[in-house]
Amino acid sequence: MRERVRALVRPPKDPVLAAAVALLVAALCFAAWGGWSWHAAADDGARAYGESRDRALSAAEQGVQNLNTLDHRNVAQGLSTWQRSTTGELRKQLADGRGEFEKQVKAAKTVTRAKVLSAALYELDERAGRAGAVVAVRTTVNAPKQKPTTKDTRMRCELTRTSGGWKLSALAQVPVGDSAGESEPGTSDQDQGKE
Amino acid sequence: MPTTRHLLNRQRRLAARTAEPDTAESPPAERPPGDRRTPHAPTQVGHADAEQGAEPDPVRARRRRNRVLAALALLTVLLGAFAGWAGARAGELRDTEAVRNSALTDTARTSEVKGKVTEAVNALFSYDHAAPRKNRDAAGRLLTGPAVAQHARLLDGLRKQGEKQKLVLTTTVTDAAVERISSADGKDRARVLVFADQRSTRTGAAGRTDSAAADDGSAYAGAMLAVDAVRTGASWRINSIDTFD
Repeated sequence: MRERVRALVRPPKDPVLAAAVALLVAALCFAAWGGWSWHAAADDGARAYGESRDRALSAAEQGVQNLNTLDHRNVAQGLSTWQRSTTGELRKQLADGRGEFEKQVKAAKTVTRAKVLSAALYELDERAGRAGAVVAVRTTVNAPKQKPTTKDTRMRCELTRTSGGWKLSALAQVPVGDSAGESEPGTSDQDQGKE
Repeated sequence: MPTTRHLLNRQRRLAARTAEPDTAESPPAERPPGDRRTPHAPTQVGHADAEQGAEPDPVRARRRRNRVLAALALLTVLLGAFAGWAGARAGELRDTEAVRNSALTDTARTSEVKGKVTEAVNALFSYDHAAPRKNRDAAGRLLTGPAVAQHARLLDGLRKQGEKQKLVLTTTVTDAAVERISSADGKDRARVLVFADQRSTRTGAAGRTDSAAADDGSAYAGAMLAVDAVRTGASWRINSIDTFD
């Protein structure tokens, strides 16, 4: 084939064939460029990191929402969701306190619902499989014979990557006044939720 | 076929000369002379071939040429199709939401945004009755678009009563995390979630608050806001303030 092509390209034997070969070469160049471009885009580290970030963030949103949602009529199922959303130390804490908590909620007959207002990651270590997020959440608590109460909570959480995806490994409210105008701003790593 | 006969003959003569004794010229010389015009001369068609009996059938030669042309065309089309498809896939991969958002992926830009927004929120929501101009200057310097009115509304009460009540409000951002940074139409935009502590003497604070009065006449409150910032030239300005009301 190559022999034949070489013979064909030698001008001016057959301009039509020569043109066809030229077109083929051009197409080959385009195909090579396209393939390289596709490979580069698929292999882009920043893209993988960005996708990791988005997965961790949506796990944080979902996890915080899950852990702020509980219906006394369906406590067992709700607490199982808590277990599924968490890992490590936090999961252990929840499992340890589960029995007591179940009793309390059943006695109080509360229905708690949560809505994530906004959330963002402040750190992501993709290699270590750890991330940290801040979440603004609004919870509404319905208790019998009481007006529903709505509360906005500022939360910090840590996430750990597991075989089942990103899960919460620490969760804490951001207390009011822990800096009170004295400490340096922008220090989101003074985390209470750390082990 | 526009190839004239004398042209073909000239070519044949040239080919014969290179094919004969000259061993220094390798690729044509390697070919045995008899082999010379069989498969690699599909262009020599028509009555020129009829002169020599060793020539392949002109119809077969033409067919062969057409087959080669068809194969070339097919390959060209296939390669072209692949190029187009691969280019489209690459474009798709580069145009996902995850790629357009450079929060955390661009660490320098992320920390720049975080720092600027932290500074801005601290300045915009701090007020001292002794120097009310400071807050107004910050508003003029750091705000743009709808944020101007939003900020004015949030600080309205404070400005009215501030001097009378000798009010001092200090806002300190405790957490700031960048939700997204994107570039469109040559403009960089960012959305940042901010948690701040506010200490005020005497009266309320801006933003959503969970107040806890202290004995010394100061009140502490925690605020949370989502801030949209836009870059104009070298500086970032706050374009929108969402207090989740």
